[in-house]
Order: sequence, then C-alpha cells, then structure tokens
Amino acid sequence: MSDASDTPGVPEPPPEPEAPEAEPGSRIGIDSWVAEADQRRARGRGPLGLAAWGWESAPDSTKLLAFVAIAASLPFWLLKSEGDLFNFGLFTLIFVGLGLGLQVVVGLAGLLDLGYVAFYGIGAYAYALLSSGYYGHHWPAEATLPIAMGAAVIPAAILGFAARRLLGDYLAIVTLFFAQAFLVFTNVTNPTLFGKGITGGANGIPNLDPLTFFGYKLTSTKQLYFFTLGTVVVVAAAIYLANQSRIGRAWRASREDPLAAEVMSIPVNRLKILAFIFGSAVAGLLGAIYAAVSTAAVSTNFNIGVLIILYAIVILGGFGSIAGVFVGAIVINVSFEFLEPQTDYPSFKRWLFYGLIIFVIARLKPWYRAAVILAGTVGFGFAVHAVVAAMAGHAWTTGKPISGAGWLTHWVVIPRLNHGNFDNFLYIGLVLAVMLVASLKGWWRTIALAPTLYLTALVWENVLVTSPGVTALILFGVMLIVLMAIRPQGLLGTSRVEIV
Amino acid sequence: MHHLLLFNIIDQIRALGWGGAFTLLRNGIVLGSLYSLIALGYTMVYGILKLLNFAHGDVFMIGTFMGYGVLIAFGGALAPTIPFIPLILLMFAVSMAGSGVVGVGIERFAYRPLRNAPRIAPLISALGVAFFLENSAQLLTNSAHELYNGYALGGKNGNFGPLLNPVFTIDQVPVTVIMVIVVLTAIALMAALVLIVYRTKLGKAMRATSFDREAASMMGIDTDRVISMTFFIGSVLAGAAGVMYGLYIGDAYFFIGFLFGLKAFTAAVVGGIGSLPGAMLGGVLIGVVEAFATGYAGGQWSEIVVFGILILFLLVRPTGLLGSPAIQKV
Amino acid sequence: MTDVDGEQDAGNGAAPEPLLRLDAVDTFYGPIHILQGLNLEVGAGELVCLLGGNASGKSTTLKTVLGIVRPRNGSVSFEGEDITSRSTSYRIGKGMAIVPENRRLFGPMTVLENLEMGAYLHGGGAKEDFDRVYTLFPLLHERRKQLAGTMSGGEQQMVAMGRALMAKPKLLLMDEPSMGLAPILVERSFEIIKQVHESGVAMLVVEQNANVSLSIADRGYVLSTGRLVLEGPAAELREHEDLRKAYLGR
Repeated sequence: MSDASDTPGVPEPPPEPEAPEAEPGSRIGIDSWVAEADQRRARGRGPLGLAAWGWESAPDSTKLLAFVAIAASLPFWLLKSEGDLFNFGLFTLIFVGLGLGLQVVVGLAGLLDLGYVAFYGIGAYAYALLSSGYYGHHWPAEATLPIAMGAAVIPAAILGFAARRLLGDYLAIVTLFFAQAFLVFTNVTNPTLFGKGITGGANGIPNLDPLTFFGYKLTSTKQLYFFTLGTVVVVAAAIYLANQSRIGRAWRASREDPLAAEVMSIPVNRLKILAFIFGSAVAGLLGAIYAAVSTAAVSTNFNIGVLIILYAIVILGGFGSIAGVFVGAIVINVSFEFLEPQTDYPSFKRWLFYGLIIFVIARLKPWYRAAVILAGTVGFGFAVHAVVAAMAGHAWTTGKPISGAGWLTHWVVIPRLNHGNFDNFLYIGLVLAVMLVASLKGWWRTIALAPTLYLTALVWENVLVTSPGVTALILFGVMLIVLMAIRPQGLLGTSRVEIV
Repeated sequence: MHHLLLFNIIDQIRALGWGGAFTLLRNGIVLGSLYSLIALGYTMVYGILKLLNFAHGDVFMIGTFMGYGVLIAFGGALAPTIPFIPLILLMFAVSMAGSGVVGVGIERFAYRPLRNAPRIAPLISALGVAFFLENSAQLLTNSAHELYNGYALGGKNGNFGPLLNPVFTIDQVPVTVIMVIVVLTAIALMAALVLIVYRTKLGKAMRATSFDREAASMMGIDTDRVISMTFFIGSVLAGAAGVMYGLYIGDAYFFIGFLFGLKAFTAAVVGGIGSLPGAMLGGVLIGVVEAFATGYAGGQWSEIVVFGILILFLLVRPTGLLGSPAIQKV
Repeated sequence: MTDVDGEQDAGNGAAPEPLLRLDAVDTFYGPIHILQGLNLEVGAGELVCLLGGNASGKSTTLKTVLGIVRPRNGSVSFEGEDITSRSTSYRIGKGMAIVPENRRLFGPMTVLENLEMGAYLHGGGAKEDFDRVYTLFPLLHERRKQLAGTMSGGEQQMVAMGRALMAKPKLLLMDEPSMGLAPILVERSFEIIKQVHESGVAMLVVEQNANVSLSIADRGYVLSTGRLVLEGPAAELREHEDLRKAYLGR
C-alpha cells in the first residue's frame, strides 16, 4: 500500500476497517463461540463424541452415586464367586482409593509425587507391626488405621517442607528417592529392634490380623469388599467437598498460575503441601487396608511398578477428574487380567484383540486411508513371512500359534523353537515403533502404521501369550509417554488453551 | 555385636584405622567422579528445559551395556582379539556415541512434543521413559549381571591385569590404574565441557537458550537443535561414565541406572542445581559420603544416608553449595 | 487517508514488492481467534508503526512475522519470498531482527556475548559490525565485560538495540521500545530509532505510545482486537479524530 492518499485532512468517516466488518455485537458473540467450543467439537465426533461430552458435562456427584450403586450390586450378579470378587472387585476398589489420593496431589495440586507407593507401604507396615503376632501386638483396627495414616503423614510433612523451595521439581526427586530408600530400608537394611528385623526383610511380615472394629471381625471377602467400598466413598466425598470449597478453588488457581495465585495472597506452597499430605494420608489408610486384606506386608508390593500403574490410572481418568479415577482403575485392572497368560479363553482374547485393531483402523478417516493401512498390513505380513522363510529357514516360521488359529500360520512369523531373545527384541521394537507413529503426522503416519500393526500382531502371538509380567509394565510406561505426547491432559480430561 | 548402630559404627572406625579411612576416601573420590559426570547431564538438562530428566540414569545404564557389547564382540576380557588399549578406546567411543544418540532420541520423542504442555506432563513422560528403558533392559538381558571382568583385561593368563596395577601408594593404600583413569577421564571431560559451554558458539547458544528460550530463538538460534545438543553432550558424558563404571566396578545390570541416577541427582542438588562446578563438587561429595557410610555402617545403609544428605541439604541450604539464591523468572 | 482494503491493486502495478507483507493473516491460540484477516506491509527503508491498546494483537503480529506463531490462514512474505512455513531462524537469517518487549537480554551473559548472540547466524559478528554498534552506542564498548542483567533500563535498551543491529538487518522489529523507560529515555530511544532508520534500515515499531511513534514514522497502522481499523501516513493519523481521542489524549 503506497502512502499516496486521496483527501488529506478528512477525518470524518468512522474507522471502519476491511470490507466484511462485523458489528460490535460480534465481539460479544466471540465469547459465547469460545465457550461452546467443546460442545461443537463433540458434536462433530458422532455418537462416541456425544457420549464423551455427556461424560464431561455430568456432575461428579452424579457419577459417584452411579458408581456406588453399580459397585454395591456387583457381588450379587457379576462377581458372585469369592475369587472374582477378590481379584476384580476388591483390588479395583483399592486401586480406586489409591488413585483418588494420588489425584489430589497430581491432578488438583499439580505436584508430582513419586513416593506415593512408599506412603502406601508405610501404612501397610504400620498395620503389620501393630496388628499381628510379629511383635505380639493385636491392636484393633479403629486404633491401627488412624496410626497408619499418621505414620504416613509425618514423613510426608518433612519431605514437603524440605522441597518447599522448588516444590514442583524437588518434590518429584525427593519423593522418588524416598520411595527407593523405603524399599531398601524394608528389604535390605531391616535394622534389628527387640530381637528381630523391624520390617522382616525380603520376606516381609506375615500372618496379619483381619480388620477388627470394636471386636467385630471382617473375615469374608464380601465384608471386606463393602468396607473398602465405604472407605472409598468417604474418601471420594471428602475430596469432592474439599474441591468445591475455597481450598479446591485455591488448588486450581495455584495449579493454573502459581504466580498470580501467590499475588492474590493464596499461600500456594502451603496449600500444595497440604494436598501432598492429604494424599499421603489416603495412601497410608489404603496401605493398612491392603495389608489386612492380603494378610501380609511385603516390600515388593510397594515398588515403582505399582507407582506406574497408579499414574496410568490417574492419567487415563484425566488430571483433576475425580470420577475419571474410577474409570481409570477399572480399565487398568481389567486390562491387567486381559494381559494374563492366555490360559483361559485364548481364542476369545484373540478375537477381541484383532477386533480391536480392525475397529481402530475402521474409525480412521478418510476411508481410503483405512483401506491402505489394512491392505498394507496384510500385504506386509505375507511379505515378511515369505522373506523370513526364504532367508532364515523354516524353523523360524513353522511355529504354531497357541490354541489353533491355523489361518495365522502363513501370516504371522512364529519361530518353532525358542530363538533366544527374538520375541523380546520384537516387543521393544514394537514399543519404539508405536512411539514413532505417535510422533509422525499425515501420510507418514499411515505408512508407518502398517508395519507397526503387523508388529503388534507378531508381539501378540509371540510375547504377550507367554510372558506378560514385565511386558505389561513396559506397556504402562510407554502408555505414559504416548499419552503425554498426544493428550497431556489425560484421556478423559479437558484440554486447556496455552497462550504462548 | 551391639544392637545400636552407633556403637557398631564407632567399632568399625576403630577397626579400620587410618588406612581404612584412606581406602574409603579413595573409593569415594573414584565413585564420586562417576556421579559428577552423570550429575552434569542432569544439571545441563535442568538448566535448559527446567526438566528433571529421570531417564538420564538409565542412559548411563545403557552405556554400560554398550561398552560390554563391544567387549564381548571383540572376544571378551579374557581373550580379546585386539590389543587392549584400542579395545578400551573403542568401548568408550561406541558407548559415548551410542548413549548420545539414545539421549537425543529420548528428547525428540518424549520431550519435544511437550514443549508447551503443562509442566507436569514432561515429568510424567520422563518417568515413563525411565521405566521403559529400565524394564526393556531387564527383559533383553534376562535380569543378568553381565561381568566386564575388567581386572582381566590385557592380562596374560587371567587375573590382575594392568588395570589393577597400583600407580602409587598412600600410607599402604594402593591407587590402581583404573582409578587413575576414572578420575583423570572425568576431569578431562569436565574441562572439555566447561570449554564448550563458555568458549564455543554452541555453548553460548546453550546458555542463552537456558536463560530465555524465546529470546534465543528471536536471535535466530535454532533452540530445538541446541536442546538436542544439550541432551547429546549430557548423554555422552553418561556413556563415558557407563564404560568406566563397567571397568571399575565390573558389571552391567539393568537396575544400576535408577540408583546411580538418584544419587547423581542428589549430587546436582547438593552442588546447586544448574551449576556446572556445583555438579562436579556435589558428585565427589556424595561419592565420599557414600563410601564412608558403606565402610562404617554397612552397604545396606548407603542409600539411606545419601537420601538423608539430600533432605538435610534441602532443609538447611536449599540452594546447594554453589547455587545462587533462586531468582524466580516472571 | 485510506480505508484498509482501499486500492491494493489500484495503481501500484509497477510498484516494487514491499520488503515485508502480511496477506489476510488469521492467527489462533487454541480456539481463540487473535489476528483476523490482517494485511500489513513494510516497504524497503520505511519506518512503519503499529499502534493498538492492550490485547489488540500487536505482539502476536510480531510473533507471526518472526514465525514464533504460525498463521492458520494467509501468508507472510519477505522480499517477495513466501516464508509462511519457514522457521524463525530462517527468517532471521534472511535479514530480520527484533528488539523484543522488555528487551529480553541474556542477563547472566556479558554485553559482548549478548552482542555476539545478535549476530549468531553470522558467525558471532565481524569486527565492522561491532564497530558500527560501538559507534552508535559508545557506552557498550566501555561496558562490554559487564553482565547485561546488572545494567539499568536505559543501558539495557541500548544493548538490546545493539544486539539487534549486529545482524545488519534489513527489517528491524521493535516491540514496545518505550515500555518501562522514563520519559526522557523514551525520547532518547526514539532518537536512536530515527537515527537507525535514517541509515537505511526498514522498521516495524509496535507501540502503545502513539504520539512519539507517529512523530518519527512514515506510516502507521492501528489495530483493535485483532483487526486493522486505520492505516495511513503518520502525519494524517496524528490528525485523525478517533485516534486522537483513543490514544493521544487530546
């Protein structure tokens, strides 16, 4: 635009900018447009999107009530046997309770607490020392449970105070080290007190008393289930109320913008440490319940693997979402069972597995992209099978998949004999491929997806069938990385806008 | 046998005497040199991204396995197929380069997508990476302790090769070749690092980026590349530490990364996080403390004592020995 | 006085391509629409100022020019080349430089090192670049060993300008050069801007202080909540009634 202008000194036309200028009313309109952004996005995603939107917009109290109603009825229809109730019901509830405590620290206060499992363990050992034959104390649960919580709270307060200067970062490393020191202390150091090792070393402390309240013993799985359910509800309600109160608002404010919150005279660090301590108390309580339920306190139950699982729960549910913890715990616990060795229902699991893959592909848009991936995966499989058979010999390709499924033998490479670390390398390869796919975009992702899917099938047939223990944990570690890259707010959490 | 730990410690100090104290000091300095090298990686990444790279200790662990891989590929310590000095140099080269690549890969895939995410997201991602590396190593090595047999390296028929020959002796406490190698290599690498950071263009770009990333990019600095290079350099140091750990301690094991990482991070905090000389000083200090704790109270206490030091420093002098009081950037 | 979309293609068929050109740029932060169809040009050797109140999109415009924020629609071109998808460092290499808001010096580095950073893509600065900057700001030569973070606001402003000039930019972007400076220093600083401009450097100055900036600019744009509301020669804008009411306070 040249500086040549027509009529100098004629200022009267109001400063009307470029052609399709909107009237001032649209300024207000922009706000409501922004406010409706979530809804609009949900509408665009079909029924699944609407369901997600319905989930996000339902109040937490409703979700909690629905959960309690379903959970309370479970022992009477789905989980009738003691074993199922124990493995699926009771442990899911304990995970829910632990997830809730962690959610307060991580999701509400925005702190990374990596010593959470240690507080959980402290609760368990406190119960074990006070309510077992180990030192001959048989205190009732109404005394032991509060002591277990207190035993977890004291170190938490010290750690929180120590890390106050760079709370976000120092607390993470201090608690991680604390978790490790706790493991070493219980497992190796095990100093002698009154003639025995105080923590029982690697064997832990066995033969704990059942939970006993005022002389009433909780012995059956159903009693323990309902007691734990009640505890979880109380914890959830407490967190819910705290979150609605001034403290909750202050937590949110200091998580979103600590500096602004500080200026508004919110004691940011004190509130955060309070959340950390509260979370530790919940962990201590559940540790004691867990010890009573499993009738032993053994340090391996409080290692970093458990921590990763708890983080997976919180992240699946979404940061800051109390109801999300319930969903996360159920998903994680059920997927754990799913990843158990394929001794029961192998063909059912296989159909579920391949069905899930095809479902994911089918949801891709546009349709020809899905077709390319499907065709690419199938073709890639046959090609790899042929190449391996020709180059490496038939011993590599003539293995049989577990439980029939002969149609797979010409597609998936399954070695007949154990070829060293072949399957483990496959597995790590798959994980790296998944991370690569997550970081690619557009057609590159499409191209990379075909071999990755084939690798998934390979791993499924070769590895997950036989050695799910370590591999399942790796899966959770990778899930953390990939989820953070794709949806840093957690799977069911709501996204926020970051102004650069 | 007393029941109280304190009496045990006093007994132990008496029993070991001056010679024992020298031995422990020597062990601590050598171990501490390794901590220093790893602490530098933590402190550099923290300086530039304000991120605790939990995976850094596991990069070190991978470095020990890479060095071991080279050793095995050339016949192992007992029957090396090439002369032992080139072999050791090759182990260093492969492990340093390989670790550097691993570090860059971690940054590229786990941290770079999260540049503008809430602060907790990359921390969780870091935790996931650490967990992934550790468990993958466990899976691929079948939880085995792989022995370097460093003491046999270069020997004619077995034990006590040149690496274990004493170079000099203080009060009857021998200082062996490998110990000298560890300390001198650590010093040389640190000197090289300081030269890079304060004298080269890349180093200046690193300092500018760590002070104000956006302003640095406004100067035309490709900050993503600078961050990659920071991870590379830090991981190279960890790789070197990995090989030296293998040669000095003797084995490679999937879990050492986690423990070493924790102690090295403690060293970085004790020295003053973000300060290069602080990381070096803190590393040696933690090494010496750990050696004395192990010698006088027993190995089962070493981690707990180091943890106690961390808490003590955070309570008493949270800025660390050489750290400046924090200036909160607004 | 022209309306914004005035006579883009009216008479300038033969006019040379402007140095910098933003064409119908839309910028978003998440779902929030910041710049809305922004058209803006800076000719070679021209001093253009971009006025606007808080949150009007001034800084976002500069970030879009530099590539720190990428537009969703529209294009950015420099010397006739479309640089919309190019990296920040590519753009700096092509001859842009910026004096950022609040100066953003590298506090723990010396003045000398700060200047080197300015010429980062040119090998850290040749001697004549240093000489040029030191002639303009003799103080910087005296203080070259001092840490930049320990200097006063006015001195820091000199370092920031010197740093930007080290790269011998064709286009110098200035984000609120008057912010946080005492009135007397504002005047000094605009004198220097004028001096630099007279040496042939094109400039895009983003300001809230309309009075001072219009007094030295060739042309001006006025931005309000992400849209251009006025543009024209600086002399005319100074006389514009609405602008006087809104920004000049008289």
